[in-house]
Amino acid sequence: MRRNLLLGALAGLAAGAPVLAAAETHVVEISNMQFVPAEIDVHVGDTITWVNKDVVVHTATAKDGAWDSGPMKHGAEWSLTVSKAGVIDYACTYHPVMKGAINAQ
Amino acid sequence: MLAKILAAGAMLAAAAFAPAMAEGGSLNDLQIAHIAYTAGLIDIGYADIALQKSKNADVRAFADTMERDHKAVNDAALALLAKLKVSPEDNPTSKTLNKQAADERAKLSALSGAAFDKAYADNELAYHQFVNKTLEETLIPETQNEELKDLLTSALATFREHQQHAAHLVAKLK
Repeated sequence: MRRNLLLGALAGLAAGAPVLAAAETHVVEISNMQFVPAEIDVHVGDTITWVNKDVVVHTATAKDGAWDSGPMKHGAEWSLTVSKAGVIDYACTYHPVMKGAINAQ
Repeated sequence: MLAKILAAGAMLAAAAFAPAMAEGGSLNDLQIAHIAYTAGLIDIGYADIALQKSKNADVRAFADTMERDHKAVNDAALALLAKLKVSPEDNPTSKTLNKQAADERAKLSALSGAAFDKAYADNELAYHQFVNKTLEETLIPETQNEELKDLLTSALATFREHQQHAAHLVAKLK
């Protein structure tokens, strides 16, 4: 089954299917009560990984409710694959002063 | 507040924390750790009262965060002290903080409804302002052990966010 899928993919490429740019992973550190960097520029299809370096628990939660890391303890990581373009505002649910933004193109 | 000489066994373990014997009586690291820990426990105590009494969602969310955060910071402080094989040292500053907190708890316990919410938020703002000023101007500068200094500096960042959050809560409850 895998062999057939692989052959199918190769056939697609050979037929001139557009080659997409490799998706990138961006790291946002949660450190000293801030998202670092607070604002990032990404492409649709990229992955963002949040890493909590603080002793206290944080979240990364979309303002429109579309996604939510849930509680992240010290050392925890959580990833999101960006699926649509636009500006996505987010914050930490426990610490409303902590805000971030993703500019997705 | 001159540091007392520690018992012989503890003194070896406490070598990492040089007790301050300077004239004018600055605090030693074990007293600083005790004060920071006490300050955190006090805020957890206030949060407990809020979670028992308040029906306001913003107040409850704030109190939840105070409990969660101060417990995490205190646990980290205790873990560091355990690693260094020392214990926090009680002192007059901690005793004063505890006495003042008992008075504040009595005051809060007598209130309910919106009056409670407002008094709780007002106190949280004032308390974090006081603790943060003390950390920044006295406790952190006087800390000698680098790991403890880093922990308190990081705690201050957390408590500064708490202070801002408390200020927003006070404004919202006006």
